[in-house]
Amino acid sequence: MTIHTKIDEKLNDKVLYQNLKGFATAYKASKENAYKGLDFEALRTKVHDLKDRDLNKVMQQFNQFKENVEKHGCKVFQAKTGDDACRYIADVMKSHGAKYMVKSKSMTSEEIQLNQYLEKEGLSPIETDLGEWILQIANEHPSHMVMPAIHKTRQQVAKIFSDYTGEKVDPDDIKAMVEIARRFLREYYFKAGVGMTGANVAVASTGTIGLVTNEGNARLSSTVPPVHIVLVGYEKLCDDFGQALDIVRVLPKSATGQIITSYTTWIKGRTPSHKNADGIKETHYVFLDNGRLAFLEHPKFKEALKCIRCGSCANICPAYEMVGGHVYGDRYIGSIGLILTALYQGDAAAKDILKMCIGCRACSFNCPSGIDLQTLISDLKLVVGKKYGINPVKKKVFKSVVAKPKRMKSLLSVGANFQFPLTTTNKLNQEKIIKTVPMLPKEMDFRKFPALASKTFSKRFFKDGYDQFSSQRKVFFYPGCAIEYFYPEMGLAMVKLLQKSGIQVDIPKVAACCGIPAIASGDPDNARTMIFNTLDKLNDAKDYEALLVLCPTCGGAIKHEFLDFTKADPDRYKKASQLGQMVTPVGQFLEDQGIQFKVIGNKTVTYHTPCHDSRSLSYSAEAFLSSVLGEQFIPLTDSNVCCGFGGTYSLDFSSISNGILNKKIENIEATKAEILVTDCPGCVMQINGGLMHQKKAVKVMHLTEFIENHLVVVE
Amino acid sequence: MKVMKLLEQFLEKSTLVGNENRLVTTVDFQNDFKREDYEYIHLPGLNIFLDKQAGEAGIRRALIEADYAIAETGSVVIDSCNENLRLASCLAEKLDVVFPLSKLVDNMHDVADFLEERTSESGGYVAFITGASRTADIERVLTVGVHGPKEMTVIILNDL
Repeated sequence: MTIHTKIDEKLNDKVLYQNLKGFATAYKASKENAYKGLDFEALRTKVHDLKDRDLNKVMQQFNQFKENVEKHGCKVFQAKTGDDACRYIADVMKSHGAKYMVKSKSMTSEEIQLNQYLEKEGLSPIETDLGEWILQIANEHPSHMVMPAIHKTRQQVAKIFSDYTGEKVDPDDIKAMVEIARRFLREYYFKAGVGMTGANVAVASTGTIGLVTNEGNARLSSTVPPVHIVLVGYEKLCDDFGQALDIVRVLPKSATGQIITSYTTWIKGRTPSHKNADGIKETHYVFLDNGRLAFLEHPKFKEALKCIRCGSCANICPAYEMVGGHVYGDRYIGSIGLILTALYQGDAAAKDILKMCIGCRACSFNCPSGIDLQTLISDLKLVVGKKYGINPVKKKVFKSVVAKPKRMKSLLSVGANFQFPLTTTNKLNQEKIIKTVPMLPKEMDFRKFPALASKTFSKRFFKDGYDQFSSQRKVFFYPGCAIEYFYPEMGLAMVKLLQKSGIQVDIPKVAACCGIPAIASGDPDNARTMIFNTLDKLNDAKDYEALLVLCPTCGGAIKHEFLDFTKADPDRYKKASQLGQMVTPVGQFLEDQGIQFKVIGNKTVTYHTPCHDSRSLSYSAEAFLSSVLGEQFIPLTDSNVCCGFGGTYSLDFSSISNGILNKKIENIEATKAEILVTDCPGCVMQINGGLMHQKKAVKVMHLTEFIENHLVVVE
Repeated sequence: MKVMKLLEQFLEKSTLVGNENRLVTTVDFQNDFKREDYEYIHLPGLNIFLDKQAGEAGIRRALIEADYAIAETGSVVIDSCNENLRLASCLAEKLDVVFPLSKLVDNMHDVADFLEERTSESGGYVAFITGASRTADIERVLTVGVHGPKEMTVIILNDL
């Protein structure tokens, strides 16, 4: 099945849609509550730093752990591969003549596909976590790391239970279903010869594991059977209880929005166990490598080994929310799932799913271990793009058009001159749009496309004499492709406003692309060409107060990606670094100038925060608009959640893009505002296109146009 | 005064997870509690014990003394290395936990040394328990009593 077939199947699953949408909303509220009064940034920095270590350090922790448990007669096995781990566990079961093994939830066992292995050997692992048990008897795998059966309804579970037990199950009575699980699984705890758990932390100073659960199944699995096997990845090691508790403090809050789970259990091997002749439990620790140890030495990917498996990168991912974990991930799920699939299973297994990341960066800002997940995904996209190739049409467009600024200019100018038979005026807002795009596949037809501007921004800037204004105070403005070719009026509105305030605006002589479309598509070579083109055409930083952008994605690229791509070229790197520090979104610049505005008219306004405004440039115009507009400003629910654009993503994964956009439009409609302001031309293209397609009368404006038309400067 | 603030915080968090919380004097507790309500009792501080090994059928109700309680999370901390205690706390339908107010600490890190001490030698099993056994695995609907206790009561001895 191709990735697109899988996506379509999930997008048509109404149950999945409702479950994930409901969860996303509820999760955000409970997480915020759970962290109330705490400094999330400080907590996650702590976890990030305690997990920041090299192979040598981890092996020191391992040796200390091993010594601490072996001296009391526990067994420690170092599994190089998943199969090594599976074989060891099967051997322990066989040596005890144990047919059944009760196990609590362990993503590591999903990683090594332990159940499949044991079943082939004629052994019976029994999942005791309710969600995992449902899936085990339904012969499925988890779609979320913490809520494995989130894709199921109560009716579906009732059917699974009634098929399995042969009993009649009330399809609406969840409590009764939980009772069934209690009854059936209770029997297995006492039948099983072996119990297996994972470990959320492994404390080196004593050789103690920590387990975080709600159901109490890990306590029973580690208590009732005479043998306990712990399956754990090396990355779960930490020095002492101080560190372990730092992790436990964030894990449940980020995972389910709980302050703490019902049970946090600290176990040191060889506890009393009456089922053994010597009255003491037999304890085995299986430490899994499966690629971990190699990546601890990798300059970038070692970050992925800081994951504490809370699953929150899925909880806040707009693309995950559309398709769920059976598509957005593999054995591991969410952003970290895309990454770990590449690291543990190989890039061939990850090459398609990596593309599903829209690049909104929400996960990077939400990770309680401070992993910059989106950057790792972006890096991996470049690796697999180069190795397996990208969409050939895109590659050709990048190479022969976008990476060649002059050719792009002349091609688009031809387009602008000859598009008129295709264009029309959208009646509701009088904007020029493309009437119908020839041969556009149906799934891509979810928004109207803006017409190309008849004259580019640069052309109007020079032709209309905006370059003639001179002043001691100067800023440099990088327009980016969207302003240059589609929305010159957004740029001109800003230029006029700044010149009125006595500030000279300079722009590049030739417009070039910032490279983000190529980076997001996994095309490093063309991205490099585009970045060098742009960088070489930007003026030096020293003459200017700021480098202004109206597109925060371009701004973020100059600030972050330009550094990555110029590392081997000191001159360019220095220039990129100096310019990067000066990148300022226009709203921020205006606020910094202390210019006072007041509103004219009484239109109601709401605001969408562009992903790269808040998460690449640390800015949102919400506070500014709210203070200028007072009661005319209506806050937008999920204002900083992605609009679904993502550049060419909205064409590659149009159905996901459309789904995300629809949620944005629902929220916009709920505000009943007449105007939606945002400060990214990409978001304008997406949201305005969607609203026009759905014939909704909300006016969409870039911040600069809104200021020009609806605010006046208070002298 | 600090202890009253901690108590307030503990009660808030403990209530949040559905626990019944009671504040009593030791004398009142000893007079009111009915031994016959329980199938397992482990109260070393008051020297009251009733031993039983809980099996597959579970037990009705257990009464256990906690070593510490944590205000930050509303949790009780119980050294459960004793196998019968562990089985009772896992398999009781109702779990009652007693602790003296003097054992209430501010946050999780305040019991780090205790964890270190109790798991340094062979065999160690310390549990933070915060409410009844719960799940939200079916449609995210919170349901208690999936494997372990279905109800939890916390009894705080306010004069000890």
